[in-house]
Amino acid sequence: MSSSTHDHDHGHDDGAVHAHISDTKFMLGIFSALIVLTVITVAVSRVDLGAANSFVAIFVATIKASLVATFFMHLRHDKPFNSVIFVSAFVFLGVFLVYTLNDVDTRGAIDRSNGTRIYERSGEVAPGGFTPRGDMGHGAAGAHAAPAGGHEAPAH
Amino acid sequence: MSTVTPSTEHAPEGGGHAHPKWLQHHFDTPVHQFETAKLGMWIFIATEILMFGGLFVAYTIFRGQEMEMFHAAHQQLNWKMGAVNTIVLLFSSLTAALAVRQAQVGDRKGTTRYIVITLLCALAFLVIKYFEYAAKLEHGTLPGRCFGHPWFADHCIGGGAAVQPLPVHGLTTRASMFFAMYFMMTGLHGVHVLVGMGILTWVLMRNLRGDFSKEYFTAVEVGALYWHLVDLVWIYLFPLLYLVG
Repeated sequence: MSSSTHDHDHGHDDGAVHAHISDTKFMLGIFSALIVLTVITVAVSRVDLGAANSFVAIFVATIKASLVATFFMHLRHDKPFNSVIFVSAFVFLGVFLVYTLNDVDTRGAIDRSNGTRIYERSGEVAPGGFTPRGDMGHGAAGAHAAPAGGHEAPAH
Repeated sequence: MSTVTPSTEHAPEGGGHAHPKWLQHHFDTPVHQFETAKLGMWIFIATEILMFGGLFVAYTIFRGQEMEMFHAAHQQLNWKMGAVNTIVLLFSSLTAALAVRQAQVGDRKGTTRYIVITLLCALAFLVIKYFEYAAKLEHGTLPGRCFGHPWFADHCIGGGAAVQPLPVHGLTTRASMFFAMYFMMTGLHGVHVLVGMGILTWVLMRNLRGDFSKEYFTAVEVGALYWHLVDLVWIYLFPLLYLVG
């Protein structure tokens, strides 16, 4: 069932663990690559590239993380399903990020003078942001449900 | 393999197979047990990524909203200390991987040596982190109502409502947000370093006790996987917090 390249894994069916044994020099090589990439990411961050700085930082970090996962964490010689689990975590993190950004981006802008969120067109306080102190409920949906004296001091 | 050994504890249930004492009875073979342990660890690692992911998503959103503030505030962090800590953690990841390798070839002393080096690196990381945190507290960049006040200053300890955040180092009080992200992300990571040290100490004790062999080194492998996760998270934290802000 297996080719010669994998016979250390499945070639003989004695049920014993025959995990791939990494070469020490190879591991040192991976470590050197990680150090070089760290130096690169620090060096690039000292130069102002605008928005590209963040891109380079994430890109280099992802290469480093891949090296660690592939070789130090043995995904290279592991069952592929472990890699599927690992990568799926990042896929779901992406879903989390994209939907949250989509939500936040439709919530109005920060009004820097008082730190609240407002709709730029109407000037109303946008939902999802915190309201100014001493003016609880203004512009928020909850204000309609509050009793007539809703502007008194909060119950707590 | 199929000879019946009456002295073996699990022989009756095991259908006549001799079981090594480290093979639990609900696994067919050592490789079955080993692969199951690793699968469980990878699923746990996925949940850890998602837990840290929440903080990374928060960081992305807050930074996107207040780019200039984040950029100004990140310059208060000591990137040289962060870079040294990066190298310390990468090196500890190497030694953790080598500890597994030595366990695989049955070199017990080598495994002990590499785990001890990994633990020393972890300790060095926390010591450097301590100096970073101490400087932050002294400069008053702890987030919250005491932002801008030196930590442990009398007027901040009492919990007086009169305390208001102050600008610090030319940063507005909104920079409190950046430091909230900084302390939460590095703090949660620091807790993982502590937990990792606990796991590695447990692996070290078992190794000294002689639990592991070429045939059975699951705890070394899985403990090292946890340690690599700690390294993975820092690989992203360092550039995002210290370098680009």
